[in-house]
Formats: sequence, structure tokens, C-alpha cells
Amino acid sequence: MFFLDLYRTVKFAGQNFWRNWLLTVGTTSIITLALLSVSALLIFNLISMHLIEVVQSKTEIYIDVTKDAQQTQVDYLVEELAKLPDVSQVKFINADDALTKFKERNQGNELLLSSLAVLEQNPFAGSLMVKVKDLNDMPSLLAELGKDEYKTILEIDNSEFYQTRDLINNIAKYTEQIRKIGFGLSIFFIIIAGIVVFNTIQMGIYAHREEIGIMKLVGASNWFIRTPFFLQGIMYSLFSMFIILLLIFPLVSWLQPYFDQFFGDYSTNLVQLLMNNFLFVFGIEIIVAIFITFIASTLAMRRYLKI
Amino acid sequence: MIKILGVSKKYNSGYTLDNINLEIKAGEFVSLVGQSGTGKTTLVKLIIAEEKPSSGRIVIGGWDITKIEPYEIPYLRRQIGVVFQDFKLLPKKTVYENVSFALETCGCSTDKIKQTVPQVLKIVNLENKMDRYPKQLSGGEQQRVVIARSLVHKPKLLIADEPTGNLDSINSREIIDLLVKINQIGTTVLLVTHNRDIVNSLKKRVIAIENGKIISDQERGRYLL
Repeated sequence: MFFLDLYRTVKFAGQNFWRNWLLTVGTTSIITLALLSVSALLIFNLISMHLIEVVQSKTEIYIDVTKDAQQTQVDYLVEELAKLPDVSQVKFINADDALTKFKERNQGNELLLSSLAVLEQNPFAGSLMVKVKDLNDMPSLLAELGKDEYKTILEIDNSEFYQTRDLINNIAKYTEQIRKIGFGLSIFFIIIAGIVVFNTIQMGIYAHREEIGIMKLVGASNWFIRTPFFLQGIMYSLFSMFIILLLIFPLVSWLQPYFDQFFGDYSTNLVQLLMNNFLFVFGIEIIVAIFITFIASTLAMRRYLKI
Repeated sequence: MIKILGVSKKYNSGYTLDNINLEIKAGEFVSLVGQSGTGKTTLVKLIIAEEKPSSGRIVIGGWDITKIEPYEIPYLRRQIGVVFQDFKLLPKKTVYENVSFALETCGCSTDKIKQTVPQVLKIVNLENKMDRYPKQLSGGEQQRVVIARSLVHKPKLLIADEPTGNLDSINSREIIDLLVKINQIGTTVLLVTHNRDIVNSLKKRVIAIENGKIISDQERGRYLL
């Protein structure tokens, strides 16, 4: 009995979907546009996440080792730091390499480089290059390294340390702000899309109010009346998703050269990025679409079932 | 079949029905007559539980529907066939689907539907137009589809509210003949109309309503208003 009723409600939903093709075209167009804006936003989020990842992977700090530090102490420190979960890479750079790296990093600072040239010997005893998995972990790591027990090994009380720390703090702050703005924009777009889709579906159900009245007249239960409309809403969502899938890949392929040109070394393959996050992007979209159509159908049906 | 006991219906504008008492026995053919706005359709709405009475009781086939719960309404409506002036057909469904729909809503098996629907469409002489949509039919044919739909449940009671209101005299006659035929096979028929010629030609029980009150109830009556 239940499966027979379910089969019939699916059949009625299908009939309404195809026979009211004008309404179907209108509703799916609106949902498709809404999903397209959600897609754009999700892709923007993916790109910003990718950029943050790239920036993070390229961010590393150098901490000078003191002249008094023994090689065994340095090796022990490297080993200990590598064990920390937040640290992705630790490397000891000897005095000559440290000098070269320092010159590279301060290429624009003529005063510093000329001061260095005045010195007849290499002022560096070596450096530790440390990379972290998450930029947010860097300040606490630096605070840890600044403890008294490391004072004899590490020379971190210098301006480079503070510059690095400030830079990292700033990047972490901006990253968080970008994430917050992105999230706020996502919510804003989803609400706008929700209102538009809600109105479209409500108009669709309003067009069926006479039909709902007839269904009630011949003894259809509320469940039997409601279900085809819910299913129809889901069909609109699935159909819109299908259109989105047809559109989105050619669209990002078209955008790829412009993206490469704009971001240069930071660029990535957008189709690949989308494929790697297929479930995330399209899962969210289908959930959003079904949620919106379900809520819209429920509210509209509550109104017209009173006939 | 139907017992209406001291029923009144009051809207903000005043009483539409005022202390109605009547009984319709099983197998009767009753014409309910009266001018527009006298409360005939309100009485129909009370019988099919589309409205609730302000006071009084309504009993149909032994079932007191005065305080019927919303979930029980579909079960009541499956026992009452209703025909309206404006047909109320589903425009996106074929003739066959419009009729079968009434059975599908109550979980009737597909085999049973395939067997019953053509039989009922044959009674209303539409067996050759099963695949047509309502807009492809004449007014009389559309009304016959509605009658077929209301009959497919094999209801004990058929209510026809101005079924000939949108039809010419030839089609009106055909519809009334069909209602008489349905009554002869045992279904109680309540015909709501203000068509004098039809009522007078039937020579059946006539109940007249004026200003929300029953003013006459005659066994073999005529349209006297």
C-alpha cells in the first residue's frame, strides 16, 4: 500500500513536471541561476583556500643559531621540532648557506647589505628553517622557541624575528578576515537564492491551488496531495543540478587562461580543483537546493491545503 | 442516509443557514431548490465537511460528522460523489486519468482501476474519449467525466451542485437523465439547482430554501419559488 502510494505520487510529480513545462522551465531557470551564484561563491572559496595553502607552504622563518651552540644541541633541537604536530619541516642551514639566504631575503635593503660587506667574516653561525602546517600555529611556536632554555642555542631576540612574527601575524589575521567575509557572502547569497526560489515555487503551487482543491474533493489525503509537490521540488533541484554540471566545467575551462594570467605562479588547474572537491561543491549545492525547495513547498502547501 | 438536525451556519455577515432540519433516506432523489445566495451551496459544503456548522448536528450514513477531524475528511469524501457546475477537472490529466485519480488516492490496486474506470466511462458514454484532455471535450462531456469520477468510488450519496449551470438544454437533459439512471441503480442523489424546468420534469421530492430556511418539502414537488 505504502509503495503503491509512493509510486503514484512519483508518477503524479513526474506528470506535473513534464506537462507544466512552462512552469518547469521558469522554476529550474531560477534555481539554476541561484545555484550558479552559489557555485561561483564555492569556487571562490576553493580558490582562496588554495591561495592560502600556497602562501602557507611558501612561508618559512629562519631563526639564527648562536655561536655558542653545539652541533649536537642543534641536531637535538631539529629532531625535537620535527616531532611537533604543527611543524611540517625543519632544516638546519649551515653558516655559508645562511649568509646566502640572508642576502637573498634582503636584496632590496642596500644599507643592510653594505653593512654586511664591511664585516670581514660571516656573522652567521647557521640558521634553522621552520615551516608550519597552519599559519595560526606560528606565533605559539615562536613563543615556545623564545623560552629561556633555548636562549643559549637560538638567537631569536633580533629584528628579523619580530618582522617575521609580525608578517605571520598579519597574514593569519587577513586570512581569517577573508574566511569570515567569504562565509558572510555565502550566507547572503544563499538567503537571496532561497527567497527567489521560495517565491517561484510558491507561485507554482498557487497556480495549482484549484488542482489541490479537486484532489481534496475526491478524498485525497494531505500526504497524498503534498508528496507530489515535494517530489516536484526535488525534481526541479536535480534538473537544475544537471544543468549546472553541464555549464560549470566549460565555464571554468574558459576562465582558466585569465586565471593563470592573473595569479601567475599561484595559479592552479580549476577543473582539477573542482573535480578534487566535487562532493563538497555539488553536495552543498544539492543540499541547499533540496532544502530550499522543501521549505518553500512546505510553507506554500500549508497555506493552500486549507481549501 | 443524511440527517441534518437543527443546523445553522453563521458568517460575519449573518446567518446563511438558520435551524435546518431535514432527513434524506437511502435511495431517494431529492432536488434542493432556491434562488442564488439562499444557502444551498453552503449546505453542500457542510455535508462534504468543507465547512463546519455553527450549531446543530450532521449525520451521514450513521457517522456524526459535526466535529469531524481533519484526517477523517478524506474518508468521508470517498463515500460521497460530488458534481459541481464548474466541472473541477484536472486540466493536465486525460479523461481516464481524471477518473482513475479518484481511485488512486485511496490506494486502489492498479488491476482494479484498469477494470473499473472503463466500466464507469462506458456508463457515461465516454469510453471512446479516454485519452483526451478536458479542454478537448464539450461542456456536457466534461460534466459526464465529473459524474464518472464521482461514481467510480461507488458512493452511496451523489451530490450534484448546479450540474447543468454551464450547459445548454440538450446537454442538461442528458446529464439529468444520467443522474436519474444512477439513482435507479441505488445511489441517493441530492440535486441542487434553480432550473425550474428540470425540477418540474423530475416529479421527485423537492426541498425549497429561502433566506437560509426550509420553506417547503414535498414528496412529488414542483419548483414553486
